[in-house]
Amino acid sequence: MNGGNHFASGPLTPAEVAFLCEAQSITIIPRQRLDGLDLIGGYIPPFHPPQRTTIPLWLALLLKRQRRCNIVPPPWLSAPNIERILKIETENQNLFCPDLPYRWLETAELLLEACPDDLGGDDGELRVLLRGLREVRQGKVREGLGKLEATYLQMNNLGLLEITEVRGFAKSVVDGLRKIGASREEARRNREEEEEEEGRYRGGTSLGMDDDDF
Amino acid sequence: MDIDDLLQELDDNKVPGGTRDINDLTQSWIAERAAPEILPFQTALLERLMERIRQQVLELLHLNFCPILLFVGGVRELISRGFLQVIQIELVETQTGNLDPKTNFCLILIQTELERVKFLVRSYLRARIHKIDKYSIHILTTPSIRGRLSPPELSYLKSHLGLLNSHFLASFLRRFPEQLRRLDDKAGGISMVEEPDLDSAVFCKVVKDIEDNIATIPGTDAEFRLTKGDVYVVRYSAVREFVLRGEVELI
Repeated sequence: MNGGNHFASGPLTPAEVAFLCEAQSITIIPRQRLDGLDLIGGYIPPFHPPQRTTIPLWLALLLKRQRRCNIVPPPWLSAPNIERILKIETENQNLFCPDLPYRWLETAELLLEACPDDLGGDDGELRVLLRGLREVRQGKVREGLGKLEATYLQMNNLGLLEITEVRGFAKSVVDGLRKIGASREEARRNREEEEEEEGRYRGGTSLGMDDDDF
Repeated sequence: MDIDDLLQELDDNKVPGGTRDINDLTQSWIAERAAPEILPFQTALLERLMERIRQQVLELLHLNFCPILLFVGGVRELISRGFLQVIQIELVETQTGNLDPKTNFCLILIQTELERVKFLVRSYLRARIHKIDKYSIHILTTPSIRGRLSPPELSYLKSHLGLLNSHFLASFLRRFPEQLRRLDDKAGGISMVEEPDLDSAVFCKVVKDIEDNIATIPGTDAEFRLTKGDVYVVRYSAVREFVLRGEVELI
């Protein structure tokens, strides 16, 4: 959405990833009454402050900017929880912690920018922890890239924005390695086909022998 | 099927149609951007969403009753006939100054959402048009792939290809010897027709439990197991079938 989409092809850009992130739901505490709204993406129920309600993130950000609501940060986005995850990440070098949601990085960025005041006191501490978490994970991703092969690589529990960061590099390495190995693969495919042909040929002779017996 | 799946299914059914349509279109857009080949067009989905967009534009006009617009030759009529582009949302925006703040605010929210949905639809169509332009001859000559296009896309492809052809012919091809004028020449072992590279690497995520879940990579010994939730970087040809069946999503 930001800056428009100039790249009609190829994988998603970071701006588009942020756009997707804004489609998730989030809980807010409205500060104003609002009648129900019938949107294309579903019905937004009326707001009765201070009753909490769940709405799309883009709407929450828009309301927040106009001071019409407070955003309730998702339970995983708290300093103690991020600290806990950071500890798991540092202690297990070969694992991405599965407790983070798929869109953790972009959601955290958006919320830190839009509503630092709603993030429970010290948002500076949270920023530092998130930064640490991001660096630890980036380090692991880089290490994982060393294992890239022409066939496949498993990358479980990686967030979408993190994937977007390494996608270009990983894709070109896998494609490049495949092209280097292409002649070997080709030879193998041909050999397999030949063997199949031979098998069929042999099938034919045995049938002939049956005929003889008859 | 365990309890999580049941809950998931319950959730899926509970999600209202509009939200599900938007989610589906989002996923189709992401997949279209990631896949090397063109994927089947989501006819029903796009029809439903375009209808909703049309209704929403009418709703905007209704909320923001503006005599000038209606005077300029039955705008409603135009919209209901599908001339959606005729309406400049900006026009509506300039009129909102005279409204009471509450209606005004509702208008802004509806417009913002409308723009988001329009962006999605546009991006989806644009990603497809890019592939249609790039692989036009390949798509046109392969019936199974040609069937993946919507009727407007197919007619676009044909007229675009026709224009290109006559342009090339007029600007230089006519000076070539007869046998060198074809754009789909396959002589000399090199085909002029560009085809998508189905072996190029994609990122994908397994979204369903798959019974026969061993994927093999053609031409190699490599095999891997597709378990729900797994994320892989792998060549598209290895997961293509699973993607077309909706068991694996491209990301």
